Amino acid sequence: MTRHLSLSAALLLATAACAQERYATRTGHIAFQSETPLEKIEAHNHKATSVFDVTTMAFEMAVLMKGFEFEKALMQEHFNENYVESDKYPKATFKGKVTGITAEDLKQSGSKAVTVEGELTLHGVTKPVKATGTMGLEPGGAIRASGTFTVKPEDHAITIPGMVRDNIAKEIAVTVQVDLTKL
Amino acid sequence: MKRIAILVALLALVGGGWYAWREYHRTAAPTSALEAAETMTAEALLKAYTEDENAANARFNGKVLLVTGTVREVKTPENGLVDVVLETGDPLAGVVCQFAQADVPATLTAGAPARIKGVATGLLMDVVLQRCASVE
Repeated sequence: MTRHLSLSAALLLATAACAQERYATRTGHIAFQSETPLEKIEAHNHKATSVFDVTTMAFEMAVLMKGFEFEKALMQEHFNENYVESDKYPKATFKGKVTGITAEDLKQSGSKAVTVEGELTLHGVTKPVKATGTMGLEPGGAIRASGTFTVKPEDHAITIPGMVRDNIAKEIAVTVQVDLTKL
Repeated sequence: MKRIAILVALLALVGGGWYAWREYHRTAAPTSALEAAETMTAEALLKAYTEDENAANARFNGKVLLVTGTVREVKTPENGLVDVVLETGDPLAGVVCQFAQADVPATLTAGAPARIKGVATGLLMDVVLQRCASVE
């Protein structure tokens, strides 16, 4: 029997020994938006998993593609079936590193501007990504991080049919917000 | 004869336009109104995903499941959404059922038995079901 351990569960187990240095969430919010003169498309996913290591500043996220919810069912169906092929590629993942903030900064309340650079794997294709945003310690003890970056569908071998090419932005704006609690 | 042909063409045009408009604006049907593809315990569902994730993805993802079990935890509403976590026997992983806040019955509390319909989206730390509805 091969027992699969998801990325995040594996990280949880592996970090048990130094749990005080790691923060995680199972309810991260990822949204993306495509806006053209013809159409505005927006989707949200409130079930992203994320782990952040304060010591190394390593930041990882994983999200289920079928978890993105659209206002219109037809858009959601096209997204899953025709564009990201979520049956074939059920997850997107990001692994990167946060700069612009230190472990010391995260011991006191207040947020700072940060940059997160890493690799995004989407539709089976891995590409470098650079996000800008803020990170800081919340009064309740959680670390809140938020940021934005853009993704070009063609960079991830996502083909947009010519008939709807003008309805979909060349660059999709992605926003991320996570409230990470200490493990 | 020509008038009838024009009338038929017009009707087809109006009908096609109405269908396209309705299809474009269609929203997801409420899960409570959909028939479940499979019924199983939360423990069995997690086991299916952890033993062979690819097979479970193919079998469950995107489908409506009716999952039975015991409520481990009901999480505080956030963004109008509530997570009801079902016990699986694995302390590191549960079956998380995401509800719209208005759809969570008061009877769904920690330790209570649950029968929940939801759309399976896959496995991260937990198996995730979205657009959930409690079933009597």
